[in-house]
Parts: sequence; C-alpha cells; structure tokens
Amino acid sequence: MRAVLKRELLLNLKNLLIWSLSVGALGLVCILLYKSMEGEMKDMADAFSNMGAFSEAFGMSTLSIATLKGYFATEIGAVHGLGSCMFAAIIAINIISKEEDAHTGEFLFSLPLSRNRILTAKSLCVAIMLVLFTAVCTLFYLLGFSILGEEMPLDLFFTFMARQLLMNLEVAGICLALSSLTGKNRMGLGLGMALLFYAYDVMGRVIPDLKKYLFIGPFSYANASEIFTEAKLPVTGIVVACGVLICGVLFAFWFYNKRDLAS
Amino acid sequence: MKENVIEISHLTKSYGKNRGVIDVSLNVKEGDIFGFLGPNGAGKSTTIRSMLGFLKINSGNIRILGMDSVKDHEKILKNVGYMPSEAWFYDSLKVADVIKYAADVRGLNCSEEAGKLCERLKVDTHKKIKQLSLGNRKKVSIVCAMQHRPRLFIFDEPTGGLDPLMQKKFFELINEYVAQGATCLLSTHVLSEVDKYCKNAAIMREGRLTMLDTPHIDDETFLSFYEEEEG
Repeated sequence: MRAVLKRELLLNLKNLLIWSLSVGALGLVCILLYKSMEGEMKDMADAFSNMGAFSEAFGMSTLSIATLKGYFATEIGAVHGLGSCMFAAIIAINIISKEEDAHTGEFLFSLPLSRNRILTAKSLCVAIMLVLFTAVCTLFYLLGFSILGEEMPLDLFFTFMARQLLMNLEVAGICLALSSLTGKNRMGLGLGMALLFYAYDVMGRVIPDLKKYLFIGPFSYANASEIFTEAKLPVTGIVVACGVLICGVLFAFWFYNKRDLAS
Repeated sequence: MKENVIEISHLTKSYGKNRGVIDVSLNVKEGDIFGFLGPNGAGKSTTIRSMLGFLKINSGNIRILGMDSVKDHEKILKNVGYMPSEAWFYDSLKVADVIKYAADVRGLNCSEEAGKLCERLKVDTHKKIKQLSLGNRKKVSIVCAMQHRPRLFIFDEPTGGLDPLMQKKFFELINEYVAQGATCLLSTHVLSEVDKYCKNAAIMREGRLTMLDTPHIDDETFLSFYEEEEG
C-alpha cells in the first residue's frame, strides 16, 4: 500500500504545485496590495459596508476592509476558499476513476492489493495533498503579513485555515464518493460542484430565507468574515461536514468493493 | 498426479441484461500451457477478469492455486503474472519506474530477473511510457508479469503488436518458466500459437466453453467455430 501511496503522491505532485503556488501567490499579491491601497481603503470601506445584502454576503458589513484583518477576510478569504475548494474537487473526483478512464486499472488491479488497500492509499493521498496545499498557502500568507509588518490575529488566521481545510476535506469526501461510481473522468462535475457550493453560500447570505439552511453547504463554517469577527462556533455546520465526509468515504469504499472494474 | 492450478466450476457472469459467460467450468493442471480460444466477445476476457477478481461473478466458484478467488484475492495475485490485452501504464513514468513499481507493490526485489527479461526482450528502460509503441508497451507488460516468477501466468492476447522475433522470444520465456514448474493460460485468436505451444485448449462461443480434444486442430475446424456464431 505504501508503494501505491508514494506513486499517487508523485503523480499528483504537479497538480499540487500548480494549485498551491497559484492560490498562495495570488493571496500573497493581494496581501501586499493592501499597503498600496491603504490610503483609499477608508472611503472604500464606508461604501462597501453600505451595500446591503452584498455587504452582508461578503462580510463587509461586520468587518472593515480598511484593516488588514477585514481586508484578508473579505478578499483573500474568498480567493482561498474558492481556489482550495476547486483543488479539492479536482484531486478527489479523479483519484479513483482515472485508473479505469486511462486504462491503467488492469495493471494496478493485477497487483496483489485488495480494493480496500488501493482506496485507502488513494484517500490518504487526497488528505495529504489537501494538508500540503493548506500548509503552502499558509506560508505564503504569513510571508505577506511579515512583509507588511501589520498586526494580524494569528489565532483567528489559523482557525480560518483549519476550517478551510475541513471544508476541503468535506468537498473531497463527496467527490471521492462520486469518483467510485464509474470509471469516467468527471472533472467538469467536480469543478461545477465547487462553484455550486460557493454560489450556494453567497446566495444563502444574501437571501434571508436561505440563511437558516446555510449549514448544509461546506462553506458555511469556513466563512472568513464570521471567523474574523469571532462569531459563534457553527457547531451544526461542522457536525454536518464531518458526517458528510465520513459518509462520502464510507460510500466510496462500499460501492468500489461491490462493482465490476472496467478494463 | 498433477494438481489443478485453475478450477472454475459453473461460472456465470452477466452485465445487466447482457450476456457475459454462462455456466463455464474449466480445469487447468499444473505445468500446462492452456490455449483459450474464441471469437471477440465470446467471453474469454470476462472469464479471465472474473478469475482475477476484477468482476463480481453472479454464480459459480473459482479456485486458483487451491485458493478461493474472492476470499484469497490478494494471495492469489501474489502468485499470478497477468498480462492484459491492452498494455496501459502511467504515461508520465519511465519504463524502469513502472517495472520497479510493480515489484515494490509486491514487496519484492525483482531487479535481477527484470534486468534479464529487459535484456532478452530489448526493453529500453530509460524511455517514458508515452514514447512507447503498442509493441514496446506489451514488452513492458511481459516484464511486469514475469519478473516475480509467478506460479501461474495469465496472458490475454499477448502477441498482438509484437514483432515475430519478440513473439518467438516470448514463447521461449514461457516454455522456460513452465519447465521450472509454472502454468500458463493463454487467451488468443492465433491458432498457430495454440497448435505450436499449447498442451490443452478450449474454445469459447457465445459465453459457453467447449473443451477441445486436442489443441492441434486444423484451420477449417477452427474457423467453423467463428462461422457458426456468425450464422
């Protein structure tokens, strides 16, 4: 199993580098732009905080983007949330199905490994990829804070990154289950789901009737503006996330074990 | 008396409403080179893929090397060298990496045997998989199937894409391993291969298996199996 895990990590390394460096560097550039925009921020902050539902959706009614904390939460929070969610979906939705899609399945399945072992290695690979992605982005953002020399509440920052990681794991759990269904490439579905989850969260924060159902979506407990305003811990959302993650992984194991493998 | 290495009894496998194989029973004895003939879609690959646990069978029982194909799946695969009809590997890897990967998963150091095989089959281990032709990918597949010196070889249309010299070398290798105690199941369309190398043979038609009295059948008898299906 260790050999499969090692191979999977190497096969996905390029993806990891492209996505983590892109999202991390984009976040870093945004952080560095804060200094050059600082002067104009005050007026912008006033304008943004009075845009009704829009301000609510992006957390600008509770956080001032004139502060680094508020700027990070509203700008980089959205970039990282969407970028990491798309990465999680892309990695997980192909991790199982790619073997059959690329016809490498007969080679892998003819090696002395049970389907459970193969799936364990692949699931671990996804988890490791997401942890590494989060670590790389965290380093980029910390570098940005350090270059700016501005004060940043690191406890809230790390809480944000940890909840983003949980959100990524939840999305990956759903995509892993989908990946076990057939041996077809479903990259489009994965990306579509990532965007759908994000859109659901934004809509949920704009439309009052949807607000009470926000906890269903994976972005609900990872919202930067809520974390940086130290809002109440979204227990229901986190419990749902853990449940969805566990169910997704268990379903993938159950279904993958009972179906025929395509050549 | 030699033991059965493959024991299939009343195997039935369907794909939803589509026929796969129906009530197939087959025994292959130790040291045999068993020819497995049949037209496209007759059920040869379904039988092989059921033996290897890729497919979930509807009914019947398969024992390989005295072990149950479902319960002892991993143990069986440790002692089997399988070469699929289409040799696909991870494109971005080098040939040497693929061969080592197959050995690593088995927890074995097969570098010596793999080196010998690569030399005999003229496999360039420095090339990337995506640079290889079908024939060269097939040679890599042969090395992966043989390097751990398994007790049972299962080859699914192995010689397609190989040049005549490589085909000859491939059968020389099979004969050498069989002489050392291995067994071989050879699924093929090429009657001359069965005639020349196999000790026993069976033919599949429309999902059903018929044992042949002898692997040395003439072209007309052989083609009649195909024609009858078309008719």
